[in-house]
Amino acid sequence: MTRSNILREIIRVGFLCIVASFVLGPLAATVLGGFKSNTEIQTSALSLPEIWRFDIYADILSDPGFWRYLGNSLIISVATVVLTLLVGSAAAYVFAQVRFFGSKMLFSYLSLGLMFPFATAILPLFVQVRDLGLLDTYWAVILPQTAFGLSLAILLFRTFFSELPKELFEAAYVEGCSYIRFFWQFTLPLSTPILATVGVFVFVQSWNNFLLPLVVLNSREAFTWPLGMMQYRGEFSVEWNRTLAFVTLTILPAVVFFVAAQKYIVAGLTGGAVKG
Amino acid sequence: MAEVRLDNITKSFGGVTIIPQLNLLVPDGSFTVLVGPSGCGKSTLLRLIAGLETPTAGNVLIGGRNVTEAEPSQREISMVFQSYALFPHMTVAQNIDFGLRLQKMPKAEREARVAHAAKILALETYLDRKPSQLSGGQRQRVAIGRSIVRNPKVFLLDEPLSNLDAALRGQMRIELAQLHRSLGSTMIYVTHDQVEAMTLADQIVVMNGGRIEQIGPPMELYDRPASEFVAAFIGSPKMNLLPGRSIGRQDVRTAGIRPEHIRVDGSSGQWHARTEVVETLGADTIAYMSAEGIDSVTVRLPGHMRLKVGDKLFLTPEPANLHLFDERGQRIEARA
Repeated sequence: MTRSNILREIIRVGFLCIVASFVLGPLAATVLGGFKSNTEIQTSALSLPEIWRFDIYADILSDPGFWRYLGNSLIISVATVVLTLLVGSAAAYVFAQVRFFGSKMLFSYLSLGLMFPFATAILPLFVQVRDLGLLDTYWAVILPQTAFGLSLAILLFRTFFSELPKELFEAAYVEGCSYIRFFWQFTLPLSTPILATVGVFVFVQSWNNFLLPLVVLNSREAFTWPLGMMQYRGEFSVEWNRTLAFVTLTILPAVVFFVAAQKYIVAGLTGGAVKG
Repeated sequence: MAEVRLDNITKSFGGVTIIPQLNLLVPDGSFTVLVGPSGCGKSTLLRLIAGLETPTAGNVLIGGRNVTEAEPSQREISMVFQSYALFPHMTVAQNIDFGLRLQKMPKAEREARVAHAAKILALETYLDRKPSQLSGGQRQRVAIGRSIVRNPKVFLLDEPLSNLDAALRGQMRIELAQLHRSLGSTMIYVTHDQVEAMTLADQIVVMNGGRIEQIGPPMELYDRPASEFVAAFIGSPKMNLLPGRSIGRQDVRTAGIRPEHIRVDGSSGQWHARTEVVETLGADTIAYMSAEGIDSVTVRLPGHMRLKVGDKLFLTPEPANLHLFDERGQRIEARA
């Protein structure tokens, strides 16, 4: 290895370390914060705890409220993912497979949703959800989240589906396969990389969503974890160590979900899934 | 088994007419090859028969039944695609019996048919593999197997061998011919390779610009090409197409002579030519020569004949084997 190569390698690794530290730094501070006292967090946020306090994590884990929030978040997120994948892929399949009058216009209209800021829709959404009698139910969060996730999902699905070889459909069609059967038996099984990618996006977004649950969920029974976390914020003080421990425990499922789906995402990026 | 008849078929895409008013009869049990250069409409014609395209006008009849409006699956046809179009997430067995499962055929019969097809195509040991674990030739066999099990009346094959290497192509050609003989069904085969057309077909349909140039058995097309286009397309190496004056005929535009129908002599002949390039093929030697008054002439010689670049020889076309074409490129019956 020449000197310039070594230098280039050092710069590359250094740059990657800096980028990684943007993610890992706050994550480490959060995990460690759960073991510290509130005073210590405010004086030395990034250091290792002077005394490791395991009682905060233990308290949260033994609190039935924590598990309820987590369960609520899981139900809502999984339902949002399932619904987004089903509706999004079915719609994208039509755009990719069927030529019909106005398809381009309709697709552009759906894509417009990408530019629509969620926060501006919050009031009309609340009114709509209330009128439908869905306040304080899981559907109050699931349905709007699905609707807002569809633009991106349809965009990504359509691109992927239209890259599936046309002959596959024609071969199946000649054998007597219908459009709907082709969707279930070919398009979906051959699209696991993009299903995983969109699934992860939607799951993480739903898991971390704060504003919508805050507006449409009032009963503690239906709270998701970001709302549950607010119980450690009093009028005069904030229990940072409990908050951080709570966050650490609640982001774990999202991380696990991402790691599980990562294989498919990488497979999607490296290609070869369809070429037979 | 069934004959395929196309009545006044027209196909346009947008404002562009790809096939203008075409009539064709594919006899029952024949191996008909549609051949022509890229973009001549041969694949479109096949897709019209398959039902993957709808004709702008005209009718498609299979076995006497008008299927113009029928779904592909109701036409009793099967199709083999150039890219094989195997289902990548299914095993070989699942690929082969996919159509049968759609027909809700009993499992025992399905298995029997798959086993039979696998035996014919030597695929028995690969039934549990995925397409990605097979070689090109094996994939092609699976695609053919998928066609066979449905016992279609008509097989449609769209350049099925063009993705294979030369050696495998030769082998698959023989297998296809044997398959046709054993099944006895009507086969319509699209290719741009005239060697495939010549070796496989009972009937060749030469297409050019959406029109049929000539239909006939391979040797008829070879011996009596109806136009300059067919003359140039059928036969390898290509027929020499020379100006009429080169044989002393001012009344014809083009005179065609196949490379094997030119006599070579060291001392006398009609054209004095110089050897430019020599290709030694073993059984034959192909010489590309330049003659006085003519640009270039290709000559096929026996394999043992040794020629060197720069050798000067006399060439004489055999008068009985001259093909004459008029101003429109159409055949003129030769006056011996």
